[in-house]
Amino acid sequence: MNFSQIGIQRLLRISSGLVIAGLLLEIVSLVWFHPLSFVLFAFIAATLIGLGILVYLVSLVFAASPSTQSRQ
Amino acid sequence: MIGILICQIVLSIVLASVFLIRPSLTSATGWKIVAFIGLCVLPALCIVGGMNTHVQRSEQTRFCVSCHVMIPYGQSLYVDDPKHIPAQHFQNHRVSADMACYSCHADYTIYGPLNDKLQGLKRIYMQYVSTPPDPAAIRIPGGFKNAQCLHCHVGARNFEENPVHAAMMDSLKSNQLSCLSSGCHDTAHDIENLSHEKFWKPVQ
Repeated sequence: MNFSQIGIQRLLRISSGLVIAGLLLEIVSLVWFHPLSFVLFAFIAATLIGLGILVYLVSLVFAASPSTQSRQ
Repeated sequence: MIGILICQIVLSIVLASVFLIRPSLTSATGWKIVAFIGLCVLPALCIVGGMNTHVQRSEQTRFCVSCHVMIPYGQSLYVDDPKHIPAQHFQNHRVSADMACYSCHADYTIYGPLNDKLQGLKRIYMQYVSTPPDPAAIRIPGGFKNAQCLHCHVGARNFEENPVHAAMMDSLKSNQLSCLSSGCHDTAHDIENLSHEKFWKPVQ
């Protein structure tokens, strides 16, 4: 996948969406007192938040790297 | 504690929502910093806080007995008979009533809490994916270790000065002689016979 085609703003939107979804699930897992709430948190919420952070960091790398045109 | 964590999560959601609606804001330096906090720092802190809260919650007696197979074990804490070791410890607050299961069943080693969580996940798998075990057939892998009793009792005067304990202290510490299965303190949860027992009703 070519990140330059996707664009930083789209990456930020994906990152925000993942983080928001993960955080909402984390709230559900904290309010829900059930053995499965830990599974919901550890395997779904934390994964979504982690992916959101990762996508954000990828967008930072993409934003920091000079484009081919500016180098020429 | 959960309240603070939820406030932090809500703040993080609000910040992330800003960048979901208007990602173009990050072209300004100030907003770049806000984006870093909202999309990286706060969510990472929320994961750490959430994990900590869930681990602390899983140490509560209420949490342990929220599993169907553990319900009779929870009931056995109210047996009105001092020979029942878990009931005697729970009712006389020899262990914290809120952490009764964890106090005696925690693996007090460096990776103990991690092992406990893995065991818990295994039980969740058995409950929802594999075949749920019969509560009476549940056994601790490797048996109940003396270290779990000695964690509190070693150093206690009434334990150390007891001539029976003193005579076999080395065997107890090396786990050669089991506190529970060598015939001395052999009535643990005994859930097969719960229906014949009288139960203690705590004063509300």
